[in-house]
Amino acid sequence: MSYTRTAQYAGRRQQSWGRNQNTTRFVSPVKLGPVMHTIIVALMILVLGLIYLTQASGSAAYDYQASEIDQKINELATKKADLEVENARLSALETVRNSDVAKAMTQPQSTQYVR
Amino acid sequence: MFSIPRHITRSQLLAILLTGAMVLIVFRLFYLQIIQHEYYVALATDEQVKRLEIPANRGMIYAMDGDNPVPLVMNQQVYTLFADPTVVDEPKKVDEAVRSVAGGNLVVEDVLSKITDKSSQYKVLAKNVTLRQAELIKEKKLKGIGFQRVSQRVYPEGEMAAQTLGFVNYEGKGQYGVEQELNDRLTGKDGLLKSVTDVANVPLSIGKDNIRQEPVDGDSVVLTIDRNIQAKAQETLLAGLQRSGATHGSVLVMDPNNGDVLALADFPTYNPTDFTTVTDEKVFRNVATTEPYEPGSVLKTFTIAAGLDRNVIKPDSTFYNTDSIQVKDRTITNALKDVTGTVTMQTALDNSLNTGMVTIAQRLGDGKEITRGARDTMYDYFHNRLGLGERTGVQIANEQPGTLISPDDVQGNAVRYSNMAFGQGLDVTMMQVAAGFSAIVNGGTYYSPTVVAGRMDGSQLVREQHAQERKGVISAEASAQAKEMIHQARTGYTNTDLPGYYVGGKTGTSQTLQDGEYISTQTVGTYLGFGGDDSQSKYVIMVQVSGENMNLEGNKHAMPIFTDLSNWLLGYYQLQPRA
Repeated sequence: MSYTRTAQYAGRRQQSWGRNQNTTRFVSPVKLGPVMHTIIVALMILVLGLIYLTQASGSAAYDYQASEIDQKINELATKKADLEVENARLSALETVRNSDVAKAMTQPQSTQYVR
Repeated sequence: MFSIPRHITRSQLLAILLTGAMVLIVFRLFYLQIIQHEYYVALATDEQVKRLEIPANRGMIYAMDGDNPVPLVMNQQVYTLFADPTVVDEPKKVDEAVRSVAGGNLVVEDVLSKITDKSSQYKVLAKNVTLRQAELIKEKKLKGIGFQRVSQRVYPEGEMAAQTLGFVNYEGKGQYGVEQELNDRLTGKDGLLKSVTDVANVPLSIGKDNIRQEPVDGDSVVLTIDRNIQAKAQETLLAGLQRSGATHGSVLVMDPNNGDVLALADFPTYNPTDFTTVTDEKVFRNVATTEPYEPGSVLKTFTIAAGLDRNVIKPDSTFYNTDSIQVKDRTITNALKDVTGTVTMQTALDNSLNTGMVTIAQRLGDGKEITRGARDTMYDYFHNRLGLGERTGVQIANEQPGTLISPDDVQGNAVRYSNMAFGQGLDVTMMQVAAGFSAIVNGGTYYSPTVVAGRMDGSQLVREQHAQERKGVISAEASAQAKEMIHQARTGYTNTDLPGYYVGGKTGTSQTLQDGEYISTQTVGTYLGFGGDDSQSKYVIMVQVSGENMNLEGNKHAMPIFTDLSNWLLGYYQLQPRA
């Protein structure tokens, strides 16, 4: 019967490690060659790029929301200004003078002063 | 012919070619990315980064209504409705929609023919369309219809105080009046948005050089003009002109206790909304500040005040009137004859005797001649103390200084100063006269006239420091005496004032100059007076009426306008008559 060693244990004397320190080290049996390293680095760059793009486009989405809100604010400000103009026109002297209330007013017969 | 050396294999040749190509590409990239870096960055920035101006709102202009500010000039975003006939696919629907929603704003009569005429892609159909109207039309989703947003000044009170306000031209600049004089203050400062944008010009925050500077709106200015007094001044002026047939007139109302201008009315007038329809530029001018004239006898009040302050006369001082008086080689006569003999200065003022005023001018000197000393004194009172012949600094564009010849000038001789004593030989504005007269009747303090009360901070009025004041230009005693003399001059002339109030005034009828000569076919009528209760004058009113080739008089044509306005003001201020 044979078995495959999944790990190698190196004796401490073979290493120049100090006393009372971990006397073993783990050595992965998986060996990555230069091509795999390149691919992994490329993938990491790709992932980072995607993250950047996601964030960048995410902030752009907020820009659109902000732009819509700005537009809404402008519209409301315009409506407010329109209402203020309308209010000013309705309370203008000429309008008041021609109102039914003003037309129904009469001159006082006499004026008494409190002294 | 080119041949490949035998020792180079085809694969080596391919490698050499590829390497060569790579080298070329590298050099090209180096050139583009390193050498031409700035150039292409600039190109990209131009394409991606937009500079958008954020317009500042022009400040509004308010008047007072008692103690409350009310808007006279406002801003409104309106739209110009246009059509592109090459895109319009349902002309009848467009015609119907535009007529039903914006019928009152149409600038063309036949909408249908305009939108079916495909010779132009831009046809303006309506102007000054409100946001609500624009929304209603947009809801109909009509093809080929567009809106262009514009900001415009609106005037809720119509023509009110038009010459004081001025207007804003199509370049956004104030013209005439307060709009021009305070243009910088009203304009504000535009903001800036520099940002990377998408194709629809929506600003994106991905750029590293984005800039956003908020606009600073212009100040909203509150005028001292009281809209009720202004409206009444315009009404009484118009009525007075209709009675007299005069074609031009102006009314100025001032608070003599602080120099606040309460009303400035001119006729003919215009509506600032329709300033483009005005054909005569003179209509834009504020007569009270921009058109100096010889005010005539109303200036006798200034001579009286100077004489009283210098103690050379008292109201009951006398002189011998022969209806004429000699000054150098000139004989000066009275307009009103036969009040001859020994008369008082009060009588001289009551009857507007030129000889009396020349006598005062002489008494300011050696009593016989209008000496250099007398002229210096008159100049000191008229110009230095009471502000004639110089700009008052009132915040209305194009104010004119007028002309008051100094005794240092060769023309500032005795004859000229004898004329000045009764209001001729000098050019002054109504604003100058009213401000100086205010000092005479308020106890002796000269206030520089102002039309600006302050500014709006939100809905609150923030009052501003008043312009300069000069105390003691005449003594309080001289002021009281002059005021009483002017009161007597009016009450001896007319009994049209409401009883129980203290009102005074002086007429003026001045000849006009044509080619350097006085003409008898055209006179200007003026009235200058004050009103209030026994404790204080509440207002000063100056009225001027004129017309081409018309002989208009202060007592007949200007005074009734003063009387109407004065009686109304006594009620408006709720002054109690003495018991």
